[in-house]
Amino acid sequence: MNTVKGAVTEKGIAISLSGRIDSNNAAEVEAELTKLTAGHAGCPVTMDLDGLQYVSSAGLRVILRLKKTNPELSLINVCTEVYDIFDMTGFTEMMTVEKAYRTVSVEGCEEIGRGANGTIYRIDSDNVVKVYNNADALDDIRHEREVAKLALILGIPTAISYDVVRVGESYGSVFELLNARSFSKILSDEPDKFDWCVKEYVKMLKKIHSTRVPAGKLPDMKKTAIGWAEFMLDHLPQKYGEKLLSLVSAVPEDDHMIHGDYHTKNLELQGDEVLIIDMDTLAVGHPVFELASMYNAFIGFSEADHSVVKKFQGFDFETASAFWRASLSAYLGTKNEETLRSVEDKARIVGYTRLIRRAIKRNGLETEEGRAQIALWTRELTELLDRTDTLVFERNETEVDAKTENLPAVLSFIEDRLDGMGCSAKTKMQIAVAAEEIFVNIANYAYGDGGGKATVRVDEGDGKTVAVTFIDRGRMFDPTKASDPDVTLSAEERGIGGLGIFMAKKIMDGVSYEYVDGQNILTLKKKIL
Amino acid sequence: MLNITKKTENGELTLSLCGRLDTITAPEFETVLKSSAEGVSGLTLDFGELEYISSAGLRVLLSAHKQTGGNMKVTHVNETVSEILEITGFADILTVE
Repeated sequence: MNTVKGAVTEKGIAISLSGRIDSNNAAEVEAELTKLTAGHAGCPVTMDLDGLQYVSSAGLRVILRLKKTNPELSLINVCTEVYDIFDMTGFTEMMTVEKAYRTVSVEGCEEIGRGANGTIYRIDSDNVVKVYNNADALDDIRHEREVAKLALILGIPTAISYDVVRVGESYGSVFELLNARSFSKILSDEPDKFDWCVKEYVKMLKKIHSTRVPAGKLPDMKKTAIGWAEFMLDHLPQKYGEKLLSLVSAVPEDDHMIHGDYHTKNLELQGDEVLIIDMDTLAVGHPVFELASMYNAFIGFSEADHSVVKKFQGFDFETASAFWRASLSAYLGTKNEETLRSVEDKARIVGYTRLIRRAIKRNGLETEEGRAQIALWTRELTELLDRTDTLVFERNETEVDAKTENLPAVLSFIEDRLDGMGCSAKTKMQIAVAAEEIFVNIANYAYGDGGGKATVRVDEGDGKTVAVTFIDRGRMFDPTKASDPDVTLSAEERGIGGLGIFMAKKIMDGVSYEYVDGQNILTLKKKIL
Repeated sequence: MLNITKKTENGELTLSLCGRLDTITAPEFETVLKSSAEGVSGLTLDFGELEYISSAGLRVLLSAHKQTGGNMKVTHVNETVSEILEITGFADILTVE
């Protein structure tokens, strides 16, 4: 049993097919199709296969012959069993074949996240669905799925959608997320976990920012930001418009990953694992672009009306501001107010640019409220442009090839950070001695002939302390375990092995080692005197 | 960066070191020592302008000490370098003035 129905519209020929197509009825189906398409060779054909349960090779040949007369052929609403046949026979590569989507309702479901392009709901205890704002979201869904896969392969813990569903008039992608809680919820429900949240939030942020992305895999955020700045040329006084464009254009290229919408609703705690979700904004670029969207999420959007953040994140504006500040400080590894303020200014320049453009695009200039909002952001933006000459800022982390010839670069990087903390010459020298031993050790022994990278980070800790951390992905080695040399032996009896790490241990207040995710992480701690 | 100045007086060699004696500069110091300390009756290392020493530098000091049969002294050591010599036991092995 089968039915073939069809209609010719201005968009093309729409045919619906149900039942089965096999050798018993293939000739009959083909005759019907020929009748429907007669005189319309070359016209696009969409076949709605909702209700088609089976197609045999005789049926496939019918479809192939139709594609010859009407090459723009697409098959939609294909059930899973039939889709598998198309997939195995290579039809999915020859023509557009779209699966039928099951329908999911989010009525009464808890909203657990909200991003630029969609809203995430929990549909049962194990699954969530991200419903896209725009109705024609299949390309967006495909994009997000691809970038989420890429991120996972590159080592970022995230959830990947396993199904696409219809939700009302739009589409959604379904993820498995077992009993997860967003960081926004944790911050709202358990304020005493604030410090823990900051720590984990920054840890994930650094992980994302230290991930190199192969060329061409993700959009370049700088290009996008140049687009925003160009848009602003028509909405700012000339000198400010030009300065904004030149500042954005001068941001160096960067092939490290940025998330693009990194706020606490997109960070989930599942068991004891932290996951980052909502990956559709993933890009590569300088971290100033990331900080800009973070600033907006916690402060920018709510600057005129503090209740906005409460509605969006669940916690109040004071918590949001404190969280932003604490995260920025942990991210930059400094408590220096002046440094923090200056980096925040740079983030705000990009942030306001984005907010103003967004408001104008949403017809903000046509309402009283919108104009007031845009005027406020514009005032802030021009003031910031007056006192800012670069969007680039110093980071507390650097990655180098693990080679001894890079020792001077590593030591001067550390020294520059220490200078910013008001460190004495003597302490700087002591830290340099210890750092040299650790870095040279990595350069000489961590990797084989292929070589590899080493990351060096300088963090200002509580109570005037500094931590210098070395990270490599070479073979597992704990230098703190090396036995101390006998420093009482005479010159003739002395070997020189183990002296370096011994010196480091003696000069520093603490030397600790851990091996995490295939990384050797060695930290030197010293009181700043 | 390391600058080494040589001076010979009555068969006694004095090498004045200025800058840093680290992984990068230790090999060049070792080369200078090998080529000029041969056959001298005594060796003085003037550390007056030496800001910094790491284990790579100590390694060369130890071999120089052995090469000269102990007829080596180190002078004008600053506080930081002195601390390193202390904790590593080098202050006891070498003659430090």
